[in-house]
Amino acid sequence: MKKFAITLLTATAIMAITASATWAQNMPKKIGYVTNYATHEWYQNVIKGMQDRAAQLGIEFEVRDANLDVAKEVAAAEDFMSQGVDVLIVTPVNEEGVVPLVRRAKEDGIPMVLEGNPVKGMTTMVAICDYDTGYHAGVAAGQYAKDHLGGAAKVMNVGLPLLSATVLRSNGFMDGLKTIIPDATMVHDLDGGGNPDRALEVSSAALAQNADINIIYGINDSSSQGGLQAWKAAGKSQDNLLVVGTGGEGLGFINMMDNEPSYQIEAAMFPEKVGFTAIDAAVKLFNKEEVPPHIVSPTSPMVGKDSWKQFYDLADNKRTIKWDAVNALVPADKCMKTAADL
Amino acid sequence: MQADRSLAGTPTEVSGAPAVTMTGITKLFTGVKALDDVSLTLLPGRVHALMGENGAGKSTLIKILAGVYRPDAGQISITGKLADLRSPRDALRQGIKVVFQEIALIPEFTVAENIFLEGYPTDRLGSIRWDRIRADAAALFARIGFDVNPDDKVGNLPVSKQQMVEIARALAHEARVVVMDEPTSSLTPAEVAKLFDVIRRLTALGMAVVYVSHKLDEIFEIADTVTVLRDGRHISTKPVSEHTHETLITDMIGRRIDNLFPRARGAAGEQVILDVEELSTEKLKGISFKARAGEVLGFFGLMGAGRTELAKAIVGFDPITTGRITIGGQLLQPHDTRTGKALGIGLLTEDRKSEGLMLDLSVTHNMSLASLERFSKSGFVSEPSEKSAVQAFVDRFRVKTPGLTRQIKFLSGGNQQKVLLARWLMRGLKVIVVDEPTRGIDVGAKSEIFALIDELASDGLAVILMTSEMPELLGLSDRIAVLAEGRLTAIMDRADATQEKILDAAIA
Amino acid sequence: MTELSRSAPQVSPKLGWLTSQTQLVLLVTLFALCLLISLAAPQFYSVDNIIAILRQSSLVLIVAVGMTMLLIAAEVDLSVGASLAFAGVVAMDVTNKTSSVTLGVMAGILFGGGVGLINGLIVTKLRINSLIATIAMMMMLQGSVYLYSREAVQNKHLQPLFTWLSTGYVGPLPLPVVVTAVLFAIGYVVLRHTTLGRYVYAVGANEKAARLSGIRPARIKMLVFIVTGLLTGLVGVILCSLMNAGQPTAGRGFELTVVAAVILGGTSLTGGRGTLLGTLLGVLILKVIDNGIIILRWDQDLQMVIPGFIIVIASYLDLLRKKSNAS
Repeated sequence: MKKFAITLLTATAIMAITASATWAQNMPKKIGYVTNYATHEWYQNVIKGMQDRAAQLGIEFEVRDANLDVAKEVAAAEDFMSQGVDVLIVTPVNEEGVVPLVRRAKEDGIPMVLEGNPVKGMTTMVAICDYDTGYHAGVAAGQYAKDHLGGAAKVMNVGLPLLSATVLRSNGFMDGLKTIIPDATMVHDLDGGGNPDRALEVSSAALAQNADINIIYGINDSSSQGGLQAWKAAGKSQDNLLVVGTGGEGLGFINMMDNEPSYQIEAAMFPEKVGFTAIDAAVKLFNKEEVPPHIVSPTSPMVGKDSWKQFYDLADNKRTIKWDAVNALVPADKCMKTAADL
Repeated sequence: MQADRSLAGTPTEVSGAPAVTMTGITKLFTGVKALDDVSLTLLPGRVHALMGENGAGKSTLIKILAGVYRPDAGQISITGKLADLRSPRDALRQGIKVVFQEIALIPEFTVAENIFLEGYPTDRLGSIRWDRIRADAAALFARIGFDVNPDDKVGNLPVSKQQMVEIARALAHEARVVVMDEPTSSLTPAEVAKLFDVIRRLTALGMAVVYVSHKLDEIFEIADTVTVLRDGRHISTKPVSEHTHETLITDMIGRRIDNLFPRARGAAGEQVILDVEELSTEKLKGISFKARAGEVLGFFGLMGAGRTELAKAIVGFDPITTGRITIGGQLLQPHDTRTGKALGIGLLTEDRKSEGLMLDLSVTHNMSLASLERFSKSGFVSEPSEKSAVQAFVDRFRVKTPGLTRQIKFLSGGNQQKVLLARWLMRGLKVIVVDEPTRGIDVGAKSEIFALIDELASDGLAVILMTSEMPELLGLSDRIAVLAEGRLTAIMDRADATQEKILDAAIA
Repeated sequence: MTELSRSAPQVSPKLGWLTSQTQLVLLVTLFALCLLISLAAPQFYSVDNIIAILRQSSLVLIVAVGMTMLLIAAEVDLSVGASLAFAGVVAMDVTNKTSSVTLGVMAGILFGGGVGLINGLIVTKLRINSLIATIAMMMMLQGSVYLYSREAVQNKHLQPLFTWLSTGYVGPLPLPVVVTAVLFAIGYVVLRHTTLGRYVYAVGANEKAARLSGIRPARIKMLVFIVTGLLTGLVGVILCSLMNAGQPTAGRGFELTVVAAVILGGTSLTGGRGTLLGTLLGVLILKVIDNGIIILRWDQDLQMVIPGFIIVIASYLDLLRKKSNAS
């Protein structure tokens, strides 16, 4: 709480100096956010970003958790609407379940921003581009392989075929990699379930079968960690290995980048920035400004050992985003590929 | 052929063709003949008893009549017409109702709902006419003199009333034949009398009744004709008036038993081994008695008098509210079975299946359960010494088993009982409490169990016998105690005891 | 039922063979699986792969030793998955804070034991059905692990000993495999040759009969719950070492894998029946299937489908065997 108060104070100070541009807009009084799964690290950080931005702009901000339950999500959103929030932000638990909600918000004239996934009939959505994230990490990995791995690229993909987002990441990674190393191959395409113990288990089998793997790509940090740990458990040296993680939502990747020589690239998605962008989009909607249907929140590969320090501070086992650095990233106007292209 | 004989034995005043004729029925189970060319003729208005030891084929024959099994050979005709009974429902439709030992009612439904389970009357809109069901059930009960409320939930009724409901179901379906499988096994004498009354009303209505039972006294009281089966074969069909207890037993087991209650032991000793003082539990009130080494102390009581409760309380299984139990001079404290065992008291339960046997485990493991410590050193079981001890008891008790590793569920009731008795004797006890030791056991095996109990007493144990069987009580006991509603109402020497005195005390 | 007793003697000479038939079928299945997989993918027999299979099997088998005893005692523990995740989080956190691997490992194991103790108390004292009690425990653990730590606890202590727990070798064998072998052997001896083992069977086969025979079923059950808990804690520590992080999300579905393996091994859910040898084979079969599907590059969704199918078949065969045994 104390920390929050301090943030609030600084935010107000910053606001006085820098927010003259935003002052030109009308500010919504209150924004309500219904998240789908607040316990997850990713959403924790999204919420953190929203809180930061809302405080900067002097907007009252409240979060409810649907805990993966559509009924709960709809109830929470309706509650917000009847309370009279000015803008609603929703991370849909599932796309179909939220359609009536979008319709109702429209009827009631309450602007609504979707986070993460599109819903039929929505005005706008704030999300990262999964394919692009993978793609740029792939390009970086290609460079690294060229420089350090003798130009060979045999990839074990610790994936999650269940979700289109994670499939896009893997596809993007391979496509990006091939721009540098055209004969790169995906030796194993695994379903690691997105969780570390499963990822570890399936990776062990795959590594045993294919000794020539030299790049491990994980669709999230748990997956890359599972893959790397399977590698270590098999007693292999990390000398000719590159591990690429995706997400950067917690402390795991920082720890790995610090301690594991092979963990050189993280395709960071900056969840805080997603939250930040969502609040900005909410303000724009409130002012009836024109917005694209997909507002892209920027991502960027971090390459090399200390690269994370460019974007994050770490103290007391807590990380804080460096807004200047992240806000300096230029987002794409639109994604190179989306789920529609699969 | 048997059909003729049975007809010949039928009194002439009964007119009309047989209700059901079964001829040459044969049934195989994986190659073993459970029934071999058995015939049976049931006459309207008559009670036909079906007798035989366990495994004689009674159940198979009944199940064929009920439509549960289909015979491999033979014919069934109902009122002269050849019939094919495909299922219990089919049999019921053709007028045959079997009341099995395990009651087949839906406990959550009311009495009336259960009676008309096979088809509820509906109105034109298809909704069930509950009012008619209730009225019909009440009328039915009035006709046969049942004292049951049609609106009661079946699950809340005692077994005896549930049985009545089953019988009423037969009437509701205008059955011609009612088969009763061991109907008195869980009834009190008063309830048995009521049941017999109902059976007489059924026969007066022209129904044929098949009565399956082990209990000789009941057969002589209620049956007109007796058919005995043994090893799946038909042995005899005679009017009951041509039988004596002895001839019936001889037919059933194929040999004569001269003395059902052999007595080899001498007089009881003087040393008090079990001393129960002012014992009370939720059910029992202030019970005191002493038992001496070498005596059999029989406890009699009607259903619900508290026999089983007393048995479980004195071995430490059930908690007590007040009182002291002393075994061999030492107080049973704390009040649990572990202490009880250590002091030398054990219970042979009345409910073998749910409290005695470990069905999936071997004869050895079942027998050695209470005395494993004796075969163990620092927690490890010495299997050779365990095995030889078990073998010794199998030999001594003449337990019929193909091997010591045989799962106990494949043994007959009598042999299972011997194993359970051995469980305690192997441990070495001062007092053994035996609760209904011959329940569900063949006549032949019964006398062996009685002999074993006698042997135990002569070895110096105090035997506490809980029984609802008067012959067993009188045949085995040195002294007789009587329980009524949780109180000890009388305690007497065998020499002074008469059936009347005992019943008197039991009803008090 | 009455007919059984008469025909029983005819079956008896084959008895020894019949009782071990479940295991024989499992053994043949295991060999057939290995053979088929290796024909299609020779790498199956590579040292790396065999070690990978053994290491994965050992994690399941350690808990399955306890679970087999629980099922024989007619109880079950479905909180093992959640408990092992929490135990791993605790182990890593304590090691981070104290820089002592010993303390961390102890904390993890004792945490699991504590969960087992509470499960045992709930089941024996409050007399709540263990299925319900341990599902409730699973929910409580899955929720409270987030109260303890919002995210995965990373390895800050960098103690090589901690990593050695999962990746170390004793001679040619990975340490977890050696630990498993020792625990399995102890469990086997206890169940087969000690009074305690006999009592576990007795309590599961007929609790009242056991109590009438002077055994205290509550104590036996309590003990088996605690043993299962301790073993779960140990696996939590090993998995944490293997992942190099205490992951709150670890162990999802682990309880089902364990129970499935135990049931596949011929242990009855109703208690009183089962062997550790069967469990060992059950675990190996499930893990070989898991591994084979990846090696063969089949669709990984089959990793759920095939074991489910095999459990149905195995249970049905067991039923057939019991029927033929009975008639």
